[in-house]
Amino acid sequence: MATFVDRYPEEASVVKATLVVSFLSLGIGALFGLVQALHRTGYLRILDSVDYYTVLTGHGVLLALVFTIFFLMGLFTWAVVQSLERPLPDIRLSWAWVGLTTTGAVFAAVAILAGLVPSIDMSADVLYTFYAPLMGHPLFYIGLAMFIVGTWLAGADWFLAYRDWRGDNPDERIPLQTFMVLTTMLMWYLATLGVAVSTVFFLIPWSFGWVETVNPLLTRTLFWFFGHPVVYFWLMPAYMLWYTVLPKLAGGRLFSDPLARVVFVLFLLLSTPVGIHHQYLDPGIAEGFKFIAMTNTMFLLLPSLLTAFTVVASIEHGARQRGGEGYIKWLGALPWRDPAFTGMALAGAMFAAGGFSGMINAGMNINYLIHNTLWVPGHFHLTVGTAVALTMMAGSYWLVPQLTGKRLYSRPIGLLQVVLWFVGMVLMSNAMHRGGLAGIPRRTAEPQYQNFEFSTMLGSVEEIQAGIALGGTLLFVSAVLFLFNILLSSIEDPIENPVDDSLPAPLSGASGSPVVLDNLRLWTAIAVVLVILAYTLPLAGIVGDAGVWGDVPGVPVWVSGNLDAALAALPEVIA
Amino acid sequence: MSIEPKTESAVREDVPDRPRGYVVGSAPDSIEREIGHDEFDPVGTLVLILGYFVILAVMWVFMYFVEFLGRGLTVVG
Ligand code: HEM
Ligand SMILES: [Cu+2]
Repeated sequence: MATFVDRYPEEASVVKATLVVSFLSLGIGALFGLVQALHRTGYLRILDSVDYYTVLTGHGVLLALVFTIFFLMGLFTWAVVQSLERPLPDIRLSWAWVGLTTTGAVFAAVAILAGLVPSIDMSADVLYTFYAPLMGHPLFYIGLAMFIVGTWLAGADWFLAYRDWRGDNPDERIPLQTFMVLTTMLMWYLATLGVAVSTVFFLIPWSFGWVETVNPLLTRTLFWFFGHPVVYFWLMPAYMLWYTVLPKLAGGRLFSDPLARVVFVLFLLLSTPVGIHHQYLDPGIAEGFKFIAMTNTMFLLLPSLLTAFTVVASIEHGARQRGGEGYIKWLGALPWRDPAFTGMALAGAMFAAGGFSGMINAGMNINYLIHNTLWVPGHFHLTVGTAVALTMMAGSYWLVPQLTGKRLYSRPIGLLQVVLWFVGMVLMSNAMHRGGLAGIPRRTAEPQYQNFEFSTMLGSVEEIQAGIALGGTLLFVSAVLFLFNILLSSIEDPIENPVDDSLPAPLSGASGSPVVLDNLRLWTAIAVVLVILAYTLPLAGIVGDAGVWGDVPGVPVWVSGNLDAALAALPEVIA
Repeated sequence: MSIEPKTESAVREDVPDRPRGYVVGSAPDSIEREIGHDEFDPVGTLVLILGYFVILAVMWVFMYFVEFLGRGLTVVG
């Protein structure tokens, strides 16, 4: 039987286009990661420390925003088309959003990378959080705005496909994968409001010089309004693969379809009203609002625990169908030689570890211990850097053959690749967490101070640095292996049965569950109310304190051409 | 293929002679017995999740110790 590319050749091309952008960003971003890991530990310094922020911005933007979101756009397109079993409504719309997001991403990347070329008077060393007062070149913000609008159009494309399907199937339950796409996109529309307002109304006019000042706390708060939910935008494609593909790879079936729907609805409701938990140490936001954000954050543990249960139970089902027995021994009956399965399973295990450091981050009091230290990148390399990134790579081993009709070039290399990522990340993130506990700061090329020794609880600072450098190197090698495996797969000859792409029905299907779960309007309305409750007062306070436009003139970071402007601004910033 | 196909079978019959052990995602080929919803009892999952909870609790107490308890009651005193 034919696979995806034979049934939907045009949609397959759209998905392939987004994956190409995604994987190119992964390659460049991983190279930058290696440069950083070696630079800040002092093992190899090929750049000036002044350029560290250019590299760090490139790393953050290309990996956390471009690699993950382009993969998501491809995966969601595949999921909508194959679960509704119909082509997209208008393929020109699809190419329009592919074009817009890609152009936007290229603009942003050009603005960042130009910072490495002194002869070009352009840079955007504003880190992937890009809030004021760091100011980048306008091209960076324009690229971001185009990228965001492009994702909105992609969502519209999927909603239109759903509407067509609904017209033909008025009484059926929304197919699970489409349900996941739609709830995730509703969350995304809500969340991106913050960053869109910040970019379009404040950062673009300010970077062009049309307005003199901005209110940095306002742009920070608008960023984090989006900055926490974007975490779930990274995670939801991984969840979709864990819920709908991983059980199949394990030889089993999804434990419960209704439970999966509940989890996605909870993420829609709870993702956005928590962003202030990134601002526990920001002055200008009252303690009480921070406490509310912390409470909301703790509620988010619920869908995560439901996921842990459902996904592990589905895998266990596979193991038992394959003859697994016992309390723990069934783990041995899983298909550990399949890189797609093993990659996703290891990614899930790392996510469990990330859950621990996330709990520490979320606690208002204990957060002070690790705020802005290396612990924080330690945490998110477990979550987005492994749970998401490794799941995406592993998923590609199963997905790409469906999109090309060609078999995977090498399974053993794939297996080596996912294991290398896991080992590299164990080394790097363990070292980062312990370094953070010792107080080593993040986001700096020169973490060492004069006349000051970091004291570690276990091991030494040298050993921590070795862990980061070695782990980072293994990760880079792993990324290169992945890219080569995919590249070589795509130049194979097409074969009859490149992949087993069937998805078995869940053990417990949607039909028995409450219909209200599929009521997207209701959930959206509740989500909006929760956001209004969580954000109205803090935002009013911030604007009341310093005004909408604030009084901070901004620190242009394309210093080469703007040294005078930067120096002129300095006394005001310090004052 | 839809996630909710008409057949309940996890095994694909339409591709009898696919090269075994090579195609990604071919685990369903080696199914030995079908286990339905009612016969399936996820005890292994329970064991793993309880183990995880114990680790979480111990590590959390350890972190609290690093930050507060190890230093005496500076906040109150
Ligand atoms: C080859 C693999 C990777 C290596 C060697 C690596 C290394 C690093 C290092 C050493 C830092 C810390 C920089 C500092 O604070 O001074 C960092 C930051 C970061 N990494 Fe990675 N990383 C890798 C993969 C990833 C992936 C896959 C993602 C996300 C999908 C990611 C996202 C980030 C982000 C968002 C930051 C923080 C940027 C900031 O603070 O502005 N990294 N990485
Ligand atoms: Cu957050």
